[in-house]
Amino acid sequence: MGELRQIAIYGKGGIGKSTTTQNLTAGLVEHGKKVMVVGCDPKADSTRLLLGGLAQKTVLDTIREEGEDIELDRILKEGYGGTRCVESGGPEPGVGCAGRGIITSINMLENLGAYTDDLDFVFYDVLGDVVCGGFAMPIREGKAKEIYIVASGEMMALYAANNISKGIQRYARTGGIRLGGIICNSRNVDRELDLLRAFAKELGTKLLYFVPRDNVVQHAEINKKTVIEYKPDSNQAQEYRNLAQAVIDNKDFVIPTPMTQERLEEILMEYGMMELADDYKI
Amino acid sequence: MPFNFNNSNVATRENRIGSITGYVGTLKDLAEKSQCGTLKGCSRCFSQSSTCLSTCGLSQLAAIRDVAVIHHGPAGCSVASSGSYYMSRVMAKKRGVTSSTVYVGTDMNENDTIFGSTKQLREIILEVNKRYSPKAIFVSSSCATGIIGEDIDSIVDDVKSEIDVPIVAVHCEGFKSRIWATGFDISDHAVVSSIVQPPREGVKSNKINFKNFFESARPEIIEMFKKFDLEPVFLYCNSTVEELSHLSESLATTCICGTLGNYIGNALEEKYNVPYVRSINQCGIVGFETWLREIGKVTGRSDKIEKYIEEQRAIYLPQIEEVKKELQGHTAVLGMGPGYTFEVSRVLDELGIKVVWALAWHYDKKYENGDVPPSMKYLLDNDIDFEASVADQQNYEVMNILKKYNPDMYLSRHPGSTVWAIKNGTPAIYVADEYMIFGYKHTLEFARSILDAINNRSFEENLAKRTKLPYTDWWYKQNVDAFLEEAN
Repeated sequence: MGELRQIAIYGKGGIGKSTTTQNLTAGLVEHGKKVMVVGCDPKADSTRLLLGGLAQKTVLDTIREEGEDIELDRILKEGYGGTRCVESGGPEPGVGCAGRGIITSINMLENLGAYTDDLDFVFYDVLGDVVCGGFAMPIREGKAKEIYIVASGEMMALYAANNISKGIQRYARTGGIRLGGIICNSRNVDRELDLLRAFAKELGTKLLYFVPRDNVVQHAEINKKTVIEYKPDSNQAQEYRNLAQAVIDNKDFVIPTPMTQERLEEILMEYGMMELADDYKI
Repeated sequence: MPFNFNNSNVATRENRIGSITGYVGTLKDLAEKSQCGTLKGCSRCFSQSSTCLSTCGLSQLAAIRDVAVIHHGPAGCSVASSGSYYMSRVMAKKRGVTSSTVYVGTDMNENDTIFGSTKQLREIILEVNKRYSPKAIFVSSSCATGIIGEDIDSIVDDVKSEIDVPIVAVHCEGFKSRIWATGFDISDHAVVSSIVQPPREGVKSNKINFKNFFESARPEIIEMFKKFDLEPVFLYCNSTVEELSHLSESLATTCICGTLGNYIGNALEEKYNVPYVRSINQCGIVGFETWLREIGKVTGRSDKIEKYIEEQRAIYLPQIEEVKKELQGHTAVLGMGPGYTFEVSRVLDELGIKVVWALAWHYDKKYENGDVPPSMKYLLDNDIDFEASVADQQNYEVMNILKKYNPDMYLSRHPGSTVWAIKNGTPAIYVADEYMIFGYKHTLEFARSILDAINNRSFEENLAKRTKLPYTDWWYKQNVDAFLEEAN
């Protein structure tokens, strides 16, 4: 058992952070690792595949209803392969302050002693864009030191990834946080692999892994399972095992060098514009 | 400037009328830059604390009789409630009336911040209404509810059908404006938009709306106005909701302080055609006479007023002239809100005292009607100039100036400010009551107070000898604008 690695997963909303994190977690479990997943999204859907449904009571709901004098097992549930699952939860859309909620619930987890010595990995699955300081909580105060950004070849995904890098750069100056790489959750965009490599290089990092698109992921989701649990023999299951191995082996942690909007668009032009432009012939 | 009473939110003084909190220069320069539109406020790279606008706004509303102020925020935000409570009770007792106004804090906690607490707010509003039966309910936001975007307006709209009295959302986030006087505007906005009703058909009024703070000169003003067949309605201290609902029927609106009365005066004029008397204020002889004549003009009572002026002059002017002889040539520094800074500077000039530096806590480039504040215009028209700064209650700047200029006196209207001058050995006059220089009689008393202060200095001298002030010699050698950042 090595040192605990705390990892935050960021990326544009809807890019597949939760899906990737949970499938990656399943891969790590197969490698014999002890993993805790902390969902940092008011929707509380970051552990659905590991738990087989949204049965989890969130940290914030529990605090609200039962006060702060609670036992850890009220908020921490065991999921697939012994993974520990926590959802911070938060307010209904349009009210209150979800960012403050993340801060409160992570502090609560610490106070309750959720970070035990036997853990190898803790993942923080953070809501889409880092809209305020609350969503940067997992990477502040020496918590997650390792960050992966999930992206695809679509422009807005790269735009968000570049913005998130700016946040990482800010916290990297004072804390020890570093970017471990980009994980591509493929959308089958043309020349996606080349684009992502070039983008990662410009950020000063690397494309850690390219997860191809496969409908088995959606089938597994409908069945409330990770791909590894749902179809262990599928190609996609192997992809997630490989991703897990890449995370385990990764030693390249950098302070990212976010680019200007102009430079980002140049890269997109270079890789995104096809020689055979859209065919408008009728 | 057009008022929007369909929206419960009021833009800040900075945005509406170009108010600033940082400037060092001269009065003329300040005025010229205001007029040609080049005045820019400076910020400070070091700043002492100032005053929160919600304290100003809500204490105004809590001074109204038999209402409820619900301050939706953490308990700390409601800290001003004790002061408001005390003040409204004391003022009611002084006047011989009773007030059952309540000031309720909603005591938001961390959970309320995360999940929002409009549900609890709704319950609190209904409970307050049931328990205290107020004549009006003001529901205020705070910094915390402002940050999380709590939708107070919807809740207020929602409970209207269950509550028979006026209820209004008051947006008092402290971080909204650096200028506490924005709080006065917020309270006026709430009153004009939700309490004041259109004038009743056929009602003939001889009333003058009189915006002031603590109505200490109430009996004498009532008596004076009687001579002109006029009746003052003082607001908001001890006002009733009923009185306020008829402000639209009055002959005119006037105020003791331009900073305090600017919003409601202009609003009543624009919405209900109630003329707003925009003269210099009633401090000193020139101020008092100018104001009275303006009242005479607006209400058609000039003859009666000229007669009154003549009588009063005969009584008081010789006495004031006597004291003036002894005040000639003395120097003064003053630090006050922008209304009084320039009004009192004028009175000091009238009494033969030389103002060497005036610090206004903030400065309004113009008033709601687009004009330069009358107090400022008067000084310029009469070629009175002195060094001036806009200082946001920055005590370290006051002390720097007192040390450099060593004036014969320091005058301030804000609690605590004069104490520092006294510790410095400077005779100080606390112009606490807004009527301290009102009219002939009080101008005479004021002149005598000054004379008394500058002739009896042993207290200041002895206290200064035994006090070590916290400022270093280094600071006293700096220019007063050392911590002002260039305007941009």
